[in-house]
Parts: sequence; structure tokens; C-alpha cells
Amino acid sequence: MVERQTVEIGGRKLSISNLDKVLYPVVGFTKAQVIDYYVRIAPYMLPHLEGRALTMRRWPNGVNETSFFEKRSPTHRPDWISTVIGPERSPSAGAKPDKKPIEYTMIDEIAGLAWTANLAAIELHTPMSLGIDADTPTMVVFDLDPGSPATIIECCQVALEIREVLDALSLEAFAKTSGSKGMQLYVPLNSPHTQATASSFAHAVAQLLQKQLPKLVVSQMTKSVRKGKVFIDWSQNSRHKTTITPYSMRAKDRPTVSTPLTWDEVAEGANGEPLTFETAEVLERVEEYGDLFEPTQTLVQQLPSPQ
Amino acid sequence: MPRAIWSGSISFGLVNIPIKLFSAVSKKTVRFNQIDSQTGARVKQKRVSALDGSDVDYDDIVKGYELPSGEYVTITQEELDALDPDAVRTIDILEFIDLDEIDPMYYDSAYHLVPDPTTVKPYKLLAEAMAAANKVAIARFVMRTKQYLAAIRPQDGTLVLSTMVYADELVARSEIDEFDALEDVKIEKKELAMAEQLIASLDADFDSGRHVDTYREAVLELIDRKVAGETDLVASAPEETENKVVDLMAALEASVAQAKDAKKRHPASKKASGKASAAAKKKPAKKKSA
Repeated sequence: MVERQTVEIGGRKLSISNLDKVLYPVVGFTKAQVIDYYVRIAPYMLPHLEGRALTMRRWPNGVNETSFFEKRSPTHRPDWISTVIGPERSPSAGAKPDKKPIEYTMIDEIAGLAWTANLAAIELHTPMSLGIDADTPTMVVFDLDPGSPATIIECCQVALEIREVLDALSLEAFAKTSGSKGMQLYVPLNSPHTQATASSFAHAVAQLLQKQLPKLVVSQMTKSVRKGKVFIDWSQNSRHKTTITPYSMRAKDRPTVSTPLTWDEVAEGANGEPLTFETAEVLERVEEYGDLFEPTQTLVQQLPSPQ
Repeated sequence: MPRAIWSGSISFGLVNIPIKLFSAVSKKTVRFNQIDSQTGARVKQKRVSALDGSDVDYDDIVKGYELPSGEYVTITQEELDALDPDAVRTIDILEFIDLDEIDPMYYDSAYHLVPDPTTVKPYKLLAEAMAAANKVAIARFVMRTKQYLAAIRPQDGTLVLSTMVYADELVARSEIDEFDALEDVKIEKKELAMAEQLIASLDADFDSGRHVDTYREAVLELIDRKVAGETDLVASAPEETENKVVDLMAALEASVAQAKDAKKRHPASKKASGKASAAAKKKPAKKKSA
């Protein structure tokens, strides 16, 4: 067994370690398998990471042990890893103006994903905006969070309702599982919008649906009112918030993935079809479907202007 | 045998109690010497003059404070002592406070205050009165050109002194950006309850003797083994492995294959029931070839 070795990937040299370490003890999924997944998914995942400030959530001793968030790019990073100034430190947040902004890791090549995977950064989280313009979200996110006993089945039902509202506004949306309990809808913008606009748009849709479907939907953060309902978390659109990146693994018992879905699958999910995908299935899906989330990076849409 | 590092007297009100300061801590970090790896000889530091490279005698060294002009003002220890002759020899008690008013972050180094053999009575009186009142004295004194703030505590009939850092010497939490990551963390009631349970399960009375410096022990053991003649003890340096670069995918496949081998030899208890061979066969079939 080799503790640490230097490998070559994508024309870069990279030092990797402890490949045999089991990161998912329930199923014996090792770090080698995590790196393997991220390298294979890279062609589909990289467009969703490129240009965005990456927040890593690392489980150095496996998913049953403690984890930590890493926003500031580690100083021990290889010199070919680039960084961007991150979304943290909006002046309104009361931060001292003389305080240094945070330099985040930015991943735009296959070796970068191998590097983060080697750090046991199982979960990769990104903001809605690009590093070069942290004030301009390139998409709106609806984060659907089921309050037990509600499940992803109810999330799918709510996703279909949101889609109807968006349809009426001629806006196209894309759905993915969170890889955990819930799911997210992305509405691509790729045109000038502010976080305030994105956030209030999502909030308005959430309130509308809560009015129409009070038994199914809730738009307030308060835990007590979320029981058995789907919380439409519109606040994920704020500047400093990040959302699980498409194709990121999740630190659950099994190696699940935040998986882009077709709308047919969402409809089937609303009827109880299971929508949990693990790494091997996701790699098969991208062979078949390609990147279902590709339009989130390219499709130009406008939110209705507020009255 | 510990030796006094400072002598003077505790002064409060009209009372003066002669004492000596003994360091209460003797650090046990393993000390290394610098050795020339080519010859095995000790490396010596020499104090040399920047003027002509000639040796400077330790006794000839004085302190110099650099002026903006690049010139130096030289200052001797006697001149420093003369600045505040009272403070130099006395530990001035400023006030008495409750122990828990002091955040432990303020404590720096610990010293034993040792009474002069001729005046043990006022010393013992002070120690016992402070213990009875359950108070800690905040004092000020000068040692080696620095004025210290100190806390004096009674401890089993004697007095101990802890030097303290000044408030402006503490690093503020707001200066450390890494703490910002805490802001985004949401904690569920259930998680908190679990964490509290975990803390309760590790609840113990502090027994400082139980905690030893394991790193120091490991270093000493390494030295023992070297003395005993085991030579190949140095962990292979990263530069060596740097030379053999392998393809990442090959490294991953090797690791995964090894894991499967291990599984075959020790099938996990859950999956072992019955068809170990079938389970082993099913696994590699799918995505291996890509």
C-alpha cells in the first residue's frame, strides 16, 4: 500500500494520499472511488464549477466523522489551481472595509477535481454568481427542502407547480436532486440581474404557491411550520449563500449525487418513483443524457421586471 | 535544583514582603543541537562585528535602539534599571479580585513566589488571608525591561504568580477570517442534544498527570532506537517519490483492485451470507472498462 504518491492527470502532476481509506463505511466506498467518480464526471461537471468561488466541505476521516467547510483556498494548493475573490464580505454585512476579501478555490480542469477529491472534499458548493461579478447571479435557485414526514415525492409535486408558474412567464427551469432529501430548480438568467431581484422573484413565487397550496408549501424558514410540507428556500439566492453543485457527491450513508433530472422523471417522482442516484448510475446517466444542466450556463432569460 | 530568576519584594499598603521568583514550569520539549551533516561537528554561533567580522565579547554587548536616521542609541541594563528603581525591585499589588474574573487566555508564564527565610511570617499571613477571602491579587512589576501585569494566587499555603498578557496583546477573534465559516452553520436541536450527550460521556475530573506529551515521547523513542543501531528510520522524503509519477487512473485502479481483494479474503459479515463469489463477480462488471 502506498501512502502518498505522485500521479499525472490532465497534464498536471498531483500528490495524492491514502487512496484505500474508506470514506463511506456503510458501503466500503474508498477515497480512490471518490476520486475516480470526480475524474469521470469532470467533463460534465466542470462547466458548473468554472469561474465560481468554490466552498469545499471536507470529510477527511469519512462521512461518519466530523466535516469542515473550507472557503479560503488552502495555501498548500498546487500553483496551477486558480482562485477567485469570493462572494463573502458584502459591505452591508457589517464587515470591516479594510478586511481582506476571501480568495476562494476555482476549479476549471480535470486535475483540479482530482485535487479536491483527494482532500476528501466530498461536497462541492457554489454560489449563483461568477467570481468576476459576485453581485450578478447567473441563475435563480429554488431550493426545495421537505420537512419530515414529507419527502422528495412532495418536492417533485411542488417542482411541477413552480414549473407551471414559470411556464406562464415563459421561463425555462431545470431540476436536480440535492443528493440528500430535497431537490433544486435552477432558472438560468445569464443576463444582468441583481441578487435582490433574484431573491424577491423566488420569494414571490414561493408566497404565491403557499397561498395556492397551503397544505403542501411553506415559504418561511421557521422550522415548526415546515412539518410535512415543502419549504421553498428562496433565500439561497443571496450573495453569500452557496448551493450543492450539480454532480457533487453527498456525504450520506451511500455515495449519492446531486443529479440533474428530466421533467418526465420529476413527474414520475411526484408519483413515488425513487429518485436517488449513486455515482455509478450518474456516470451511466451522463453517457445517455449528456449534461441535462448544460443550458443553465448558456440559456439567456429575463425575470419579469418588478412593478 | 531550581534557581531564583528574580528577587525583590511584594508591596501592598505599608507591608513589604521580600520574595524570590522561581519559574514554576520547566519545559520538557526535546532539545536538539545543530550538527553539520557533513562532518558531524556541532554548529557554533559566533557573535561578530558587522564592521570587520571580528569576534565580539559577550560582556561588550549593549542594547541599541535604532533611530530613523539609521544611527543607534545605546542603552545599558543599569540605565534601564535606573528608570524606575522602585518598580524594579517590587511587585506592587494594585487590587484584589475574584479568580473567575480572569479569562485564562490572559495567563502567560507561571512562577512560584518564595519567601526570604528571615521573613516567612508576613508571607504566610498574606497567603492565608488571600485563601480565606478567596481572592486573587493583581500586581505590576518589572522584569528584564518589561513591565508585567500579574495575578498572584494562594495555592496550598504558598503564593504563585502568573504573568499576564495585556488586553491589547490578545489577538481578536474578528482578525481571524476562518471563524466566518461558522456563520453559515445551522445546528439542529437533535444534533446539539447528541453533542451534549457525547460531552457528558467524556465528563471527568481534570487530572493533569494523566495527560502527557506523546509527541515528546515518540521523539525520545526514535532517539533510543537510533542509539540502538536501527538506521533506516527516516521517513522517505517526498522528493524521492516525486520521481516516479504514475497515471492517476492506474493508481486508482490499483487501489480499487486491492480493496476488492481484501473484501474477497474477508467478506463483510453482512454480504458474506451465502454467495461470496457471486457478490465478487457482480461488482467489477459494470464500469471498469471505461
